[in-house]
Amino acid sequence: MTFQLFISGVSLGSVYALIAVGFAIVFSILKFSNFAHGGMISACAYIGYFFLSAFETPPPFVVTVIFTTICGVLLALLVDTAAYRRIRRKQAPNIYYFLASITIAILIEQILSVFFGKNLYGYPAIFKSTTFNIGSIRFSSVDTLILVVSLVILAVLLYVINGTRIGLAIRTVAISPSTSRLMGINSDVIIIVVFAIAGALAGISGVLLGMKYSVYPSLGPSMMIKGFIASVIGGLGSLGGAIIAAIALGIVEIFLTYWIGSLSAPIVLFGIMLVFLAVRPEGISGRFAKDKV
Amino acid sequence: MKKIIALALSVLMLTSALAGCGNETKPGGTSGAGTTQPGSQGTANLEPIKIGSIQDTSGGASLAGQPNQWGVEYAVRWINENGGINGRPVELYSRDCQNDAEVGVTNYRELVDEAGVCAIIGPPLSNPASAWVELATEDKIPIVGHFMDEVCTTDPDTGEAYPYMFLAEPSCSVQSYILAEYGMNELNVKTVATLYNTSNAYAVAHEGPFVNYVEANGGQVLARETFGWTDTDYTAQAQKIAALNPDAVLLCDYCNQMVTAYDNLRDAGYTGYILGANTMYPPFNSLVKNEIKDCYFVQNYDLSAGTIADLLDIQMKETGTDYPTSNVGFGWDACMVLFNAMKQAKDPTDGEEVRQILENNTKDVESAGGAKITIDPSTHRPTRDMGMYIASYDEDVNVDCLVYMTSDYNS
Repeated sequence: MTFQLFISGVSLGSVYALIAVGFAIVFSILKFSNFAHGGMISACAYIGYFFLSAFETPPPFVVTVIFTTICGVLLALLVDTAAYRRIRRKQAPNIYYFLASITIAILIEQILSVFFGKNLYGYPAIFKSTTFNIGSIRFSSVDTLILVVSLVILAVLLYVINGTRIGLAIRTVAISPSTSRLMGINSDVIIIVVFAIAGALAGISGVLLGMKYSVYPSLGPSMMIKGFIASVIGGLGSLGGAIIAAIALGIVEIFLTYWIGSLSAPIVLFGIMLVFLAVRPEGISGRFAKDKV
Repeated sequence: MKKIIALALSVLMLTSALAGCGNETKPGGTSGAGTTQPGSQGTANLEPIKIGSIQDTSGGASLAGQPNQWGVEYAVRWINENGGINGRPVELYSRDCQNDAEVGVTNYRELVDEAGVCAIIGPPLSNPASAWVELATEDKIPIVGHFMDEVCTTDPDTGEAYPYMFLAEPSCSVQSYILAEYGMNELNVKTVATLYNTSNAYAVAHEGPFVNYVEANGGQVLARETFGWTDTDYTAQAQKIAALNPDAVLLCDYCNQMVTAYDNLRDAGYTGYILGANTMYPPFNSLVKNEIKDCYFVQNYDLSAGTIADLLDIQMKETGTDYPTSNVGFGWDACMVLFNAMKQAKDPTDGEEVRQILENNTKDVESAGGAKITIDPSTHRPTRDMGMYIASYDEDVNVDCLVYMTSDYNS
């Protein structure tokens, strides 16, 4: 049972990881937690669902993900244009980004509620069975897919950031946008690229979460608290730290809930988080966000 | 830039206008809170009777609240087209409580103090309804609704009925007794576990009586697992229950959470019976990822026949809803109970007179499902003649109403 719980914890953590990475990528550059990410995930879950529903024979899962990812990028660019660009140009304090991100999250959720709130939607199953066994251990098919996707996303992002010229530019802008401009880097373009990456992540997350749960307006926002916690524990802005923290969070949550119940588990969980941040405020990654991406 | 600002403002205005729809009265082509819905049989020239409706049309229970509100609106449209209350048209004022007791109190004050309503149709929500008990008594405003937790209609300490609160369907307790009775007698269930939302009065009010019935009738409760609003996954609880392997598991919460709980239990390897509250009706069947098997739940109506079928047909066409939901009938039934009392009153706007009729002379009011609603004067809830269907899903995952049951059990 203990190993089964561990696997379940990893599965749950993989869901949190998906959210946490979206947080971390934006925080790494702009130093604010983009709560609009949750609303964008919900919007992308709807887009993916209606895309699938538009065909008599549903297109392959990969096609849906690609379509939703493109829509996520466009949505992110729209959000950046509508909410963040002017704040950036005026070099306003980060609190304005924070307020704008919450406003956008609420706005998206309400728009979805007005237009689609009368119905709940469910993605068609892509696996014949919701679980599979290896030995006596039971794995959730969708959760396993989410974990694999999270790890692939991490690998791709780490490669982009550490192994490409655009990644070098992102790291430079993360350290100092003004200095990067002096070095000939167009920081505005880099920031737009980062938002596009976050939008792509929202697109992928929307489809995956829609497949795991139902599609409803608060799907993304309902996951944001745990995703945000994971990104903080991971070391705000650290992609690898966010994924490690998310999976650790899932494991701890599963064990605590099993042992002491769902009512008491959050008390201990948040207590552990407070102690952890007191001992290691820089998070798992060990570096403050301002020093790195 | 000006174009962008103009576009953004247009979007915001459109959104605000749409968001405001929740407080408007739509049927019959009328709109805006407080608009009259004139009847076609000479009711327009008489002084209208103002009634209020408070539903959750944008909060966590809006999936149930919106069809509930439609049922109220349609009942008002129907009564006005059929002569009104003794010739007087009914004027509906609607408010959105967002499943929030505090907002519900504000809604109540607006309806009573500003709109001047003489009665209110309440939501299928116990938290806001509980907050109106004393206000309604003070203002002499009868409230008829589907707040199924018994603490909304009777004082839990004394057992006496609150004078102005009336329920128009079987309470949570009665529903749970019926479900437990079916499980123990028909499915031969001896051991059970429960998985429910402790933050939701609806779920808590189902779980307690279910456990009570099982224990009182020789059954054994192996586990009482819980979750809260912020939980999105119940795998740990499901694995605990699966390890105990009870004969049946009771699930209690709104549809979304029921779906997750069902899938978590089946994913954890649990193969026994899963029993559910009446939120297990569609769209539950189109959302679960696992095969629906050995799944039984209480259902207020057989949605395929009678008035409820007609109501659903109209509601789904008018609102673009994809699946039938019992809540349409809830709004309708509450209105029928209130209209029945108002028709008997010399002055249908006299809260005290209508209250007394609701209490003592509400007999055999036909519900949307065809059952008769008779209010028990001592509890202000339907008498035990009114029961529930035990339903399941057939091979094509359509709802199959198996049997109509009542229960005389009292804890």
